[in-house]
Amino acid sequence: MQKTLRNLAVVAGGASAAFALAVSPASAVASTVWTVTPSPANFSAVNSGNIVLTVNGLAMTCTKSTAGGTMQSATGNPATVGSITSMAFGASGAPCTSVLGPVSAVPTLPWAVKVFDYTAATGVSKGYIDNVDATVSVGACTFRVTGKASGTYTNSSGTLAVNSTAGELTVVSASGCGTAVPVGAKPTFKGNYLVKVTGTTTIPKIVGSNP
Amino acid sequence: MRGQRPTPRTPRTRVRGATIAAFVALAPLLPAAAVALGTLKVDAALPYVCTLPSGGQPVTVRISAAFPERADVGEEIVPTDVTTTVELPAAALADLTALKAATVRPETRLAVGVAQGEQRAEATWSGTGQPVAVPAEGPLVLTTTGDVPSLTTDTAGELTLTAGGFTVDLALSTADGAATDPASLSVACVPGQDAEGRTVLARVPVGAEATPTAPATPPASPSSPSSSAAPSPSAPVTGLPLPSFSTGRPDRTVPARPGTPDGTAGGTPEGPRVGPLEEGDPADGETPATPPPRPDAPDCITRKPTPASLSAYVTGYSNVRKLNGAAFLPPFCMLIEQGDMIMNPSPPPDEFQFSNLSPAKLYDKGRTRTPPFTSTFLAFGFQPVRATMVLEQAGPISVHTFVRTVFPAFDSYLTNTVRAPLVLHVLEADVNGVKLDVGRSCRTTTPLTSREPDPATYPGDHMVLLGLGMMKFGQEAEGYILTGGGPLTGEVTIPAFKGCGANGESLDRLFTAAISGPGNHVKQIQGQTCGVLTPPDPLNPKCTDDGQPYVVPEAER
Repeated sequence: MQKTLRNLAVVAGGASAAFALAVSPASAVASTVWTVTPSPANFSAVNSGNIVLTVNGLAMTCTKSTAGGTMQSATGNPATVGSITSMAFGASGAPCTSVLGPVSAVPTLPWAVKVFDYTAATGVSKGYIDNVDATVSVGACTFRVTGKASGTYTNSSGTLAVNSTAGELTVVSASGCGTAVPVGAKPTFKGNYLVKVTGTTTIPKIVGSNP
Repeated sequence: MRGQRPTPRTPRTRVRGATIAAFVALAPLLPAAAVALGTLKVDAALPYVCTLPSGGQPVTVRISAAFPERADVGEEIVPTDVTTTVELPAAALADLTALKAATVRPETRLAVGVAQGEQRAEATWSGTGQPVAVPAEGPLVLTTTGDVPSLTTDTAGELTLTAGGFTVDLALSTADGAATDPASLSVACVPGQDAEGRTVLARVPVGAEATPTAPATPPASPSSPSSSAAPSPSAPVTGLPLPSFSTGRPDRTVPARPGTPDGTAGGTPEGPRVGPLEEGDPADGETPATPPPRPDAPDCITRKPTPASLSAYVTGYSNVRKLNGAAFLPPFCMLIEQGDMIMNPSPPPDEFQFSNLSPAKLYDKGRTRTPPFTSTFLAFGFQPVRATMVLEQAGPISVHTFVRTVFPAFDSYLTNTVRAPLVLHVLEADVNGVKLDVGRSCRTTTPLTSREPDPATYPGDHMVLLGLGMMKFGQEAEGYILTGGGPLTGEVTIPAFKGCGANGESLDRLFTAAISGPGNHVKQIQGQTCGVLTPPDPLNPKCTDDGQPYVVPEAER
């Protein structure tokens, strides 16, 4: 286990270093007014690429995932610009999979979409999905994950890129998982979703400003 | 809520996404609800089995609500006065006191299946309750109330509401008001076996032409039109047949579509829809399709399930090399208790490893064997022989799973080894159409055997089947996975027979000469397991309503 953790730490450390080099300085003035267009709006999101939840090196992959909810302009920092009121991991006939077997992930909703940083040059907002709460089952192993998941939203493509970092999510209860998924484990949640205003091809925009 | 006919096997859960999304768009256009003629009171006490950290516990869940006695097509049906009471037994208190919880605040979610003819939707009835002190001695009674989604349908006919999976989330606080660690406990429950046939909460006729079918038991009388009296325990209408799933026709949930601008639902009738509690727009990407009915298969019920209980069907072929043929084993039931996953404390460099050892047994109407199966061969190349046999379990079956995850790619590989001591028992045989009296004890002298890769750990005669699986990081898993199923292959030696024959005539040597010997290839396909007490999967049901595996595999050569 010590070795495993060390390996994981090496991977995470490498990623952090690269990230640190690439990151630009934070905006001089944080955005406090967040304009969502259109607002309010119902949105629907479909995954682009696979969605992966990883616990202790065990990956659970969803080839299909959808989300939906509402978006609206907001103020503050961070500001809640969206609410995810429905979320599906896997689809009928296409469950998420893992080496432990088909995975069932049932979210407890709503989850909040919060933003705290906006780069006008790229149209990218940084933020996180808050109030993440899901019960994951694989065979007789059932565990509950809560916390938040960092991500970005890109106006040009409507991509909500979820890329949680270790420590944001925590396994708060587990049953039948043995030492593979203990309480206190720190899963990660990664994957991209393409967001559109429900029933349209319109990509919602999020713009942060500080008037 | 008594006297229902047995619930047909159905997928344990339903999906709703698109129907909800459509209703959101449609809701503002619907006419205001007409005044109901009367009120139908529901008060049902249902047995559930709840998964607590210490294991499965029987729990009584009491659901009360009021519905309109009937509704018009397109009219919003709003369940009111919804109260859920869950009574956790004294045994469950240990799980709370172990966390030093002094008070609990409950939140509940009840999955309610909504059906009209072949149309399906699902609603979640959520409720919240006041903090309750954990008693020194049980039981712990928790009551929640809350508004629940409304219903609407553009099709005439009876609307049936059925209680399904139930979850109670407990926010825990210590005596000094601080949160426990963890701060909450989520307890998932499924209707217990005793709930079979009793989970229908209400039947609401919709449309002027809707005429309720005569119930098998007398329906409760609706209360007077303006009555707001206390719920009547006998009020719910019962006894009407649930939709049949045995016709072989796909059972689909038809997604509702947005209404036309004039405020009516456009196009074909769309069946029941579940309305929102508040403005919001759930995703429309969830598939509305309900899986087709499960193929016929023998009973596969775990009588005393634990949180680790899995069940699965297995089917396949076993070659009999001497007869140059293969015996088809129709689906049989295997009950598994999934073992704890144990990490290897000293894995090779750059690997993460864990394994688990799961005991299993065959199940056939209470016996540890396969159901009888009949095969026809050409003995000695010319003599048609038809034999009816069973495989009898002669000792514990085990499934050993070994998983390696290799860094830095995080690709995973798993090796599953099934060890099964099985004796072949010939029940009947005929040669060229003439019955052969094989007697009652015509069996192999020992279990079928295979080459055992680890005889020191696994001594004794048994067959060995291997299932390999792999998963590239971020990709789908492939091959055999214990809970997902897949192909298991091996090669067995069929031992000599004894006890064959009757009336002083021994057929042992005949059977041994015709059948016994090495090099018999076996390929069995295991289906996806049903986690009997694990939370139901709303998208891909693993268990039927009565806790049997939903997936019945097909044999492969």
